This record gives sequence, C-alpha cells and structure tokens, in this order.
Amino acid sequence: MAGGASAADVRSILALPSPSTPGPSQPKPTAPKTARKPEGISRELYSLIGPSAPSLTAQLAKPRLKQKPNLGRGNKVAKWRVLAFVWRVYVLKEEWQEFSNPGRADSLKLCHWVKATTDPTAEYQFAKYNVPSTVYTYSQDEYNRLLEDKDWTKEETDYLFNVVREYDLRFYVVADRYDYPGGQPRTIEDLKDRYYSVCRRLIRNRPWAGDESSKVQLVASFFYDKDREVTRKKYIASLENRTPDQIAEEEALYVEVKRLEQNERRFAKERDELLKTIAGVDSGLPGVAADDEVQIALFGDPKKKKKGGNGMDIDSPISGPSGIISLGPSTPTRRVQSAKSVAYDALHCILRSDVMPTNVPPTKAAHQPVYLRSSRLPMPKASMAPKINQALAELDVSHTRLVMPTRENCSQLEGLFDAAAALVDTKKVVDKVDQEIRVLKARLAGRASVGARSEGADADSKNQGEQAEDGERDAEGEAEGEATEKADRAVSVAASVRSYSRKRSKRSASVSSVDTSTTSATRASRKRQRN
Amino acid sequence: MVNYGADEVSALVLDIGTSSIRAGYAGEDTPKAVVPTSYGFTPQTQDPLDVPMEAGGDPAADAAEIKKKAKLHIGQHGPSMFRHGMEVANPMQAGLIHDFTPIPSLIRYAFETGLSCNAAEHPVLVTEPPWNTPANRERMAEIMFEEFQVPAFYISNTGVLNAFAVGKGTALVIDIGQAMASVTPVVDGFVLRKGLASSALPQLVHAHAKHLLSTPTQRRPGGIQLIPHQLISSKQPVDPAVAPIYSLREDRIPGVTPSWREWYEGREVDEWVMSVAGVLDQGWNDQLAASRPPRQYEFPTGFNDWFGPERFLVGEQYFIHSAQMVASNPNIPKTLPALIAQSLSACEPDLRTVLLGNIVLTGGGSLFAGLGERLSNELMRNFAHMKIHAPGNPTERRFGGWLGGSILASLGTFHQLWISKEEWQEHGKAIVGQRCK
Ligand SMILES: Nc1ncnc2c1ncn2[C@@H]1O[C@H](COP(=O)(O)OP(=O)(O)OP(=O)(O)O)[C@@H](O)[C@H]1O
Ligand SMILES: [Mg+2]
Repeated sequence: MAGGASAADVRSILALPSPSTPGPSQPKPTAPKTARKPEGISRELYSLIGPSAPSLTAQLAKPRLKQKPNLGRGNKVAKWRVLAFVWRVYVLKEEWQEFSNPGRADSLKLCHWVKATTDPTAEYQFAKYNVPSTVYTYSQDEYNRLLEDKDWTKEETDYLFNVVREYDLRFYVVADRYDYPGGQPRTIEDLKDRYYSVCRRLIRNRPWAGDESSKVQLVASFFYDKDREVTRKKYIASLENRTPDQIAEEEALYVEVKRLEQNERRFAKERDELLKTIAGVDSGLPGVAADDEVQIALFGDPKKKKKGGNGMDIDSPISGPSGIISLGPSTPTRRVQSAKSVAYDALHCILRSDVMPTNVPPTKAAHQPVYLRSSRLPMPKASMAPKINQALAELDVSHTRLVMPTRENCSQLEGLFDAAAALVDTKKVVDKVDQEIRVLKARLAGRASVGARSEGADADSKNQGEQAEDGERDAEGEAEGEATEKADRAVSVAASVRSYSRKRSKRSASVSSVDTSTTSATRASRKRQRN
Repeated sequence: MVNYGADEVSALVLDIGTSSIRAGYAGEDTPKAVVPTSYGFTPQTQDPLDVPMEAGGDPAADAAEIKKKAKLHIGQHGPSMFRHGMEVANPMQAGLIHDFTPIPSLIRYAFETGLSCNAAEHPVLVTEPPWNTPANRERMAEIMFEEFQVPAFYISNTGVLNAFAVGKGTALVIDIGQAMASVTPVVDGFVLRKGLASSALPQLVHAHAKHLLSTPTQRRPGGIQLIPHQLISSKQPVDPAVAPIYSLREDRIPGVTPSWREWYEGREVDEWVMSVAGVLDQGWNDQLAASRPPRQYEFPTGFNDWFGPERFLVGEQYFIHSAQMVASNPNIPKTLPALIAQSLSACEPDLRTVLLGNIVLTGGGSLFAGLGERLSNELMRNFAHMKIHAPGNPTERRFGGWLGGSILASLGTFHQLWISKEEWQEHGKAIVGQRCK
C-alpha cells in the first residue's frame, strides 16, 4: 500500500478492521530515528566480527536493545503506537510498503517501512548481501583426466563440493556436517586437502586468460599442506595436554638450565682472566663459536637450533665433546645463522624470536613457554591505554581485533601503539607548554599593570615573592641562560602547534595527520633504540 | 532508512521451552507474551452440552481421544487455578516437543490472547533446541503453515540464537533451562553438532531439592508438607521448625488429581530453590558453608524454617556428583564441567581457544545463586584463557533464545532465508531441512 498517510493506514495501525488492505495488524512501537544511531551500531557490528572470518553474522546488529522493556499495557501501548506511526509517516516520510527480495528465488512478499521517496520497484537493499561464494565445478571429463584419486570416488568428491558450497567454505562446519553415506570417516584435513588439491589441478590445467604470474598466485592461494596441518594440530594437542606436573617440570628444567649456564659463564670468565694474567693470551672465543657451528652441522639436531652464540668453552668438563649440554641462548648478540639452517627454517616455516637478554635473572618470569600468537596480541601500555585508545578512535583507526595475527601484523600493531603513545606524549607536552605560555602571558600582563601603577622596590619584592611561590616556573623574563633558552624552545613549539591547530578546531584533542604520527613514530623508535 | 542491517517486517518470534512459551515481535527486547507450557485439562466426557475446547483450534489428526474431549486451561489462570478433577500436563520432554496435541492451542493462546494478533499476517520465526529431530521441526512447519496460515516461516536453534543475543557469531553456549542443560559450540552462526552435549541436569537438581525438603530430619521430624495454598483455608503463625497449624479445604480434597498435585509441588520446590538455594563459589567446604548466613522460607502451610549449609548442597549437584550417587545411578546426568569437557573434546583443537574465549552462559537456570562465579572458578582451573559472557540482565538470560530470534528476524539479510508459503506448497517438508541448517 502506498500513498502516504491515508485513513486506512491509521486504521490498520490501530488494528481496526480495514475493508481493503491487509495491513499489519500490529506494527511494533518503534523508537524515533534518533534511537538508531549509526555510531552505536558500528560498535555492535564490530563486536560481531569475531576471531573468525566475517559472515552473515557480521551484518548482525542489535536493534534498539537499549530501549526499556515495554511493561506498559493497553492504553499506553496504543498511544505509543500511534505516536510511532505519526512519526514515521509525517516526520520520516516513510511508508509501509510491500517488497520482494531478489535474493530469493520465489515471490515472497513482505512489508517493511521505507522512505516514501524510495522507488518501490528498486532492488531490495539487503539483496546485495546474498552473494553466493564461488566454488569450482568440474565436468566428468575433467574428473577422469585430472582428478582421479585412489581415496576418493567421483560421487564422494561431488558430495564434498556440494557441502562446501552449502556452507560457504566454512570448513569447520563442513567437517561437522560431512556425512557421506557408506564413506570412510574424514577429518577436516582430509576434506581440505581433497578440496584444495582439486581446485589447484583445475586451475593449472584450464586455459588461463591472464598472465602466468597471476595464475601462479591463484594456485598458491589454494595451497594446502596436509601433513603440516596434521603436525601442527598434534603440537597444539600436546601443548594442551600437558599435565600441571609436566608444566612444573618444564619450568624447573628451565631454571636449572639457566643456573648451569650462569656457572658456565662464570667459569669461562675466570679461565679467561687466568689465561690473560698467566700467559698473556686471549682465549680465542671466535674459534669456539666456529667450533659450535661445526657441531650444529655435525649433529644437525633441529631441536638445538636455538643455540645462541656462547661464552662457553668447548673444553669445559660439563659440555663434553658431544656438546649435548650446549643449549640455550647465552649471549645477547645473535649469531648469524648458517645458510643451511636458514634454508631449514624457511622450509619449515620456523620464525625465530629474538634472543632473550641475558641480564634477566633466570626466574620464571623470564621463561616464555610455547603459546599461540593469537592469545597474546600486543596491547597498549596499561598506563597509557585509555589515552591511546581514545586517540586511535579519533583517528578512526580500529585496533581491537586483529583478524590475522601474523608476526608482521603483530609487529605493525605494536608500531601503531608506539606511534600513538608518542602522539599522546607530544600532545601532553604541547598542552603543558601552552599552559605555561598562558600563565606567563597572564603574569606579564599583570606585571605591566603593576608596573604602570608603581615602579620601583615594591614591584621587585612582589616579584621575588611570586618567584618563591612557584619555584618550578623558571621561565621568568629575568632568568638567565638555560632557562631562557628552554622557554624559547617551548614558545616556538607552541607557536607551531598553535598555528597548526588554528587551522583545525582548537578543541580537537589530538592531531590527526599522518605526517605527524609518522614523525612521532620515528622519534619514538629512536628513543627506544637509545634505551 | 539508515542502512545498518536491521529491517523490520513485523515478524513474530516464538520460543517454546519446558517452563514457558515466549512470543513477541521481532526487533523488541522482551517477549510480550510469556505463557506457562504446562496446561490443565478437564475431561468432558459426562457433559456433552458443554462448549468444546476453550482455546479452540483444530486438534491434529492423531489427537488422543480423551484430550479431544478435554477442555484445556492455558495461561496464568490455567493450571494454577484450582478446578475439580483438573489434570496438568506438559507437552515437552527433554526439551523437545513430545506431545503435539496441545501445541496449536498453546501457540494460539500466545498469539491471540498474549499478542492479540493474527499469525496469518506475520512471518513467524520459531526456535528449537539444537538436538531437535527433523520430524519434529517439519511438524512445526506444518502446524505453522497449515493451521496458522503464516505467510513465511523459519526455524532456528536456540544455541545459535543465544549467541546472537549477546552479539556473537562464534561462541560456546551453555544453556541451563528447566529440563535440560546443554553446551553448544557455535561457529559462524552454525552449530557444530558433533560438539553438542546435553543432560537432564536441572531435573536432577530439582529432584535433589525436593528430596531435601521432604525427607524427615532431626530438626524437621515430619519432613516438609508441600500442600498447595489452594487447599488451605486457614493457618496460624508458628515459630521456625515447629509443626504448622493449618486447616484444609476439605471440599476441594476429593477433586485433587495426582498430576495437579505433582505439578504444584514442583512449582513450590522451584520457588524455594530460587529464593533459598545457592552454590559456594570455590567448591564445597563445611566451614565456609556454615559461615554463610542462613535463609528463612515459609511454606503455604505456615511452616517456616532457617536453611543453613544444606541450601548450598543443592547447587553442588550442578558441578559434582558423589561417588555413592554415581554408583547407584549409572545414567546420572552429566555435570556442567563434564558437559563442557565433552563438548570441547569433540571440537577441532584450533577452535577450542576461540570457543573458550567466547563462553555464553544463559537460560533461566543459570540465574541460580552463585552458579556463574562457581562455573568461572571451575573453568579457570583448567583453561586460563577462558572468558564467560553472562548477560547481567536476568530477563536477557531467561529469554536469550527469544531475544536472538528477535534480532535475527529483524535483520535485512535474514529475509532471504524465510520459507514462504509458496515454497512450502511447492516443495513440502523437505524444504525445512534444506533451508534451516
Ligand atoms: N533466579 C533463579 N534461580 C534459580 N533458578 C531459576 C531462577 N529463575 C529461573 N530459574 C529456573 O529457570 C528455569 C526456566 O529456565 P528457561 O526458561 O531457560 O527454561 P526453558 O527454556 O523453558 O526450558 P528448557 O530449555 O529446558 O526447555 C526454571 O526451571 C526456573 O526454576
Ligand atoms: Mg530453553
């Protein structure tokens, strides 16, 4: 039904019998438009993009839940409905309109409120979210030529592709619902492996319109290494399955190793000194390092790869010729890895974290057990967190959910926090200097008037009193040397900031310019290096 | 219209639980109609002139013969009113609809009396427990389309909806209702069926409380008589733990049926549990239990007493079963920690961290005093990274499933999922399973 507010509309709203239109018998009371602030919504939406990929649920919002439960009955409700109706029709110029949804295959017609100016034949605005994901299909011929697999029949492969399409590539759900009649049980890795390998084979063997590199890229995006996934899962399981006893034992061992290392170092140092005093020779430490390298090459145990450089003597009675005890990082400088181990790492996707500083006492706190990176995302420093969050919010940078916590992303996020912290710091300094200038100016003005009234000893003594009062404020006009210079600097910074902020609103709490943040970021990083 | 995902089509949301049926408009934050699921009925064999069936509605074809001729008493003044010879029944069993005969009448009552609306004019979203059977949901679709003539229908399960209600698409939903406690892993808006774990734990807790009240003890040599207030004509104030002084309405006694009596006793126990029972937040400890203040409660007979440590024994049943109990009952319902462990072990290891970080505690039973804190402490011991989200507002917990439905049915993106009447007529029952995954 169209045509603005007719008597029939009011009738249907009040649930009075209407001769022609089957309007809604009870349109709900609706909060005025102000209650549906998009800002509020974006937060709600945001909270939905969980750690997993966004999906239908990503568009889920909580509509008007802040509204108080409607406890009133009868009259009150009816009045509210009339009000809501009047609001919709006259203020928002909306009308109750029938629409059909092109996202649907049938002709279901539902009614909803829309702006009266909206073209009733326009495509339904939410239809665009009905995007079918692309899942590859193959012909019988292609199957016979390319996709034969001793573990899979064509029928089961078809079934797999159907389920994958049905659940939009959500493999956790696919694995849960997968139930091929008469088939063998399949793990999620089996399913992914089959699906991605079929896709890869299809892409490789089909005619390709684009250039070779984009094809390679596409194939790479379907890469799946089943064995690695299985191993990874085993690692996670063993990480989870550690008993408290095992964890305690791990900790104890770690402390013990640290203690041994310290003994080692002390021993080596004493020996060094002894050699120097007695024989006047250096104990060729570099040579020892080289020897160590040889050991790695010889015994090639990947578990011992974490071996750092060392202050350990090869002849030390504990380490012995086999070098079994030469574990753990012991010098702060990270030794360059041999080409071989680099290659090994790259092949096995091993990322080495920086060597722990040695000056940390061998306590529990220094020990970092294995963990999932997603469980320890970088956070802003607790003392600064509210300010940083506020600054980032003003800059429209959202950081609360890192969907893909890769190492690079984590370090970028950390960089972002550093930059934001520097920004907040700068802002604080600017504010302080601004304030100082204001105080000084006020004082200057006061002095001028005082001076006008009486020149001479009176003013001087008053000045002194003032100076004593706020002793820290050392930027008095008469103050010499350093103080003047400091004040000058402060003034120039303040001036530049003021000229900047004059362009923007004076009230904006933080400056939202990329340039500013980068310079402060570099400054922050410089500061860090100095530390 | 601001384009943020909500679009109203004035849909109705219907959530049928063991304790109550909740109905209301999508987009609102509480169900307007909350109707007890238990209903009373009086057989009408002797009086053919009486008006048949108060709540109307064509009984389904396979209606039991007696109930066909019975007069149903539904709503606030249904089972709780005393009527001569009235029986009380509940169509639910293990959280599922077991007896469909009274269901249309109950739904009609919720829609027409509770909401004063005609379901034929609104799309209807119905909820189901995650362990619902295909036959059951098809039957529900049939009732909606054939009997209520709804233009569109959808059925969604309470696990997913409870997650939606707190704004999550991925969650481990712990729902404690009247009959069942369940743990449901939800990923991206889909239930992982293999990780579903449920047990009749609330019924065990209820039975324990009833046993505690009615068993004679040194302090209460006669046990506690759970006599309905409808049967008591007068009573006198008495001191705590002293035998009550009251007189019965003898005229009503002959009209009392065992089913009504049992229903009433259950309600009385529930009320006692809500106001007196609790659970210690750090596990059982005699001294701690004794140091907590006792609570007083008065029963309809006038009998009243202070309940000390015993009131905390009730809550222990949610978390631990004594060896003796396990030995005497091999099919004892699993405790909450056992259900959670079972559910997690059936999930991919990768998912566990995510699920543990998004635990949603919901259902009326989760309002049990101290349950949230205790659960949090129990889980913290094994999973350091877990985080429980429990709505602070009690109505949001009691109506979590309904609220999720309310949100879902008012989303613009949802409207392409409705099963329309046309589709129902064209494809029949099969469409329900295809559309509602
Ligand atoms: N404050 C409270 N303390 C303890 N229990 C409560 C409290 N409030 C409600 N309950 C219990 O919650 C139960 C009802 O919960 P809910 O409405 O979630 O169940 P339901 O959905 O109808 O049942 P089910 O899910 O088992 O089919 C009742 O058994 C009631 O005793
Ligand atoms: Mg329930």
